[in-house]
Amino acid sequence: MRRDWIWLCCLAITALLVRSAIAQNHPKSEKSSNTSSGAAIAGTAETHDAALPRSGRSVSSEERMVRVEGEKRFRANCGRCHQPPHKFPPRVMAAAIRHMRVRAMLTDEDMRLILKYMTQ
Amino acid sequence: MTPEETSPKLGFRATLRHLGCGVNRTRTYPVSEYRLRVFFGLAAILLLIAPRAFAQGTAEEDVKPIPLLTGSTGFISDFTGGQPDLHPIVTPLVLVPIGSRWLFETRATFETDLVEVPGRSGFHGGPVQKEVEYAQLDFIANPYMTVTVGRFLTPFGIFNERLYPVWIRNLQSDPLILPIGLGPSNASTGAMVRGGFKAHPKFDVNYAVYFSALFTTSPVDSDRFIGGRAGIFVPRARLEIGGSFQHLLQQERSNLFGFHLVWQPTRLPVDIRSEYAHSKRGSGYWFEPVYKLNQVPFLQNEMRRTQVVARYQQFFTGQLASDSLSAVNTKQFEFGLNYYFLDGLKLAGNYGRQFSSSGNVNIWTMGLTYRFVIPLGPTGAEQ
Repeated sequence: MRRDWIWLCCLAITALLVRSAIAQNHPKSEKSSNTSSGAAIAGTAETHDAALPRSGRSVSSEERMVRVEGEKRFRANCGRCHQPPHKFPPRVMAAAIRHMRVRAMLTDEDMRLILKYMTQ
Repeated sequence: MTPEETSPKLGFRATLRHLGCGVNRTRTYPVSEYRLRVFFGLAAILLLIAPRAFAQGTAEEDVKPIPLLTGSTGFISDFTGGQPDLHPIVTPLVLVPIGSRWLFETRATFETDLVEVPGRSGFHGGPVQKEVEYAQLDFIANPYMTVTVGRFLTPFGIFNERLYPVWIRNLQSDPLILPIGLGPSNASTGAMVRGGFKAHPKFDVNYAVYFSALFTTSPVDSDRFIGGRAGIFVPRARLEIGGSFQHLLQQERSNLFGFHLVWQPTRLPVDIRSEYAHSKRGSGYWFEPVYKLNQVPFLQNEMRRTQVVARYQQFFTGQLASDSLSAVNTKQFEFGLNYYFLDGLKLAGNYGRQFSSSGNVNIWTMGLTYRFVIPLGPTGAEQ
């Protein structure tokens, strides 16, 4: 009986986490996150591939912002456990970042920005 | 192939026997087949449905990853109570990305102890101990969830999963509470759901929920338990706090819990890490501050590569005995220096003293560690 409750609790927690994750996809959350500076850059990164800016000036400005935010996330996330490594070739870094996404439970946003920063 | 193995109806039963073979063979604990069916059924549904449900939300990578052979190697010399012990260790890690959502990763350890044998000169090694620490298949179901199956490092606390490799850890000795909640070989055999997401503009949440089956084949044995870990990371403050929980589904069927903290103050080059763990077999904590000397105004080239580390820890025995934990209440203090020649090449030295009713001992450690990365394919970006 007690174990049934534990199982039910585990299922309920999993369901809540999944629901919370789905809620993150809602455009409303993106809109609200744009109010903070850090999240605004993250939001830019999320739409980076889908809507590349046309003018050269905005490209460089956006790239700079993404790079700065990528470096910030890199230092905050990677530096939490180990010495920040030097940059590796892009395809090496892509494999390493996928590993760290699982191991260090990086968010999707962190992974994108760190990969961008480390491969530029 | 027997009809049972080919039958679609009974296919799950055959798989179940492979995954939980130790449970059926030993018959030490009754198998709740219904619950296992539910668990693996849910895992299968998640694997099937998740890619479609979250296809829009998954990150498309610009750069195609290649397989990697990475890992670390080290030569650790340990003098505990005046007894020398030379300890070469190689820990290769193979990463094989498959498509855009899958990753196979496995890490093994090859190590030996070189000790002085009475009556003979020099150090002599025993057999090389080989162990597959983990071999897991990860499926990135969506931006917030990864499903892992196989043998994986038990996510109880942070040390085992994140700080264990010799090139990462600040002090080469293990914390006294490390074995709590990890199982007999520091790993679990089963399935895990984990991930991280921005729950609020100011903080991220990470979580891991897992089930491990009883597996009795040494050295890849594991206990039967369920558990979870959740943490909150505040990027602005660089503060992570979290907790772990585990319920043992065998033996005394007890609950274990723990807490962890990682803090990197933004104004000071300091890292602070700490863990607490409690079980019926013992409890304790460790607290580890690290100070990077990059603010020291002289010898700046050398100082920015140097860290001063300290760790204070205490272990309290529990109601039940354990082979992997100390048999008596123990306190231990250590401090040391790390010097990074490169980001992956480190010279470490530390001194510590252990206080316990079985005798106080000095602990000296010297070590050289190296992290390597060997690409197993062309490394250029694909357009």
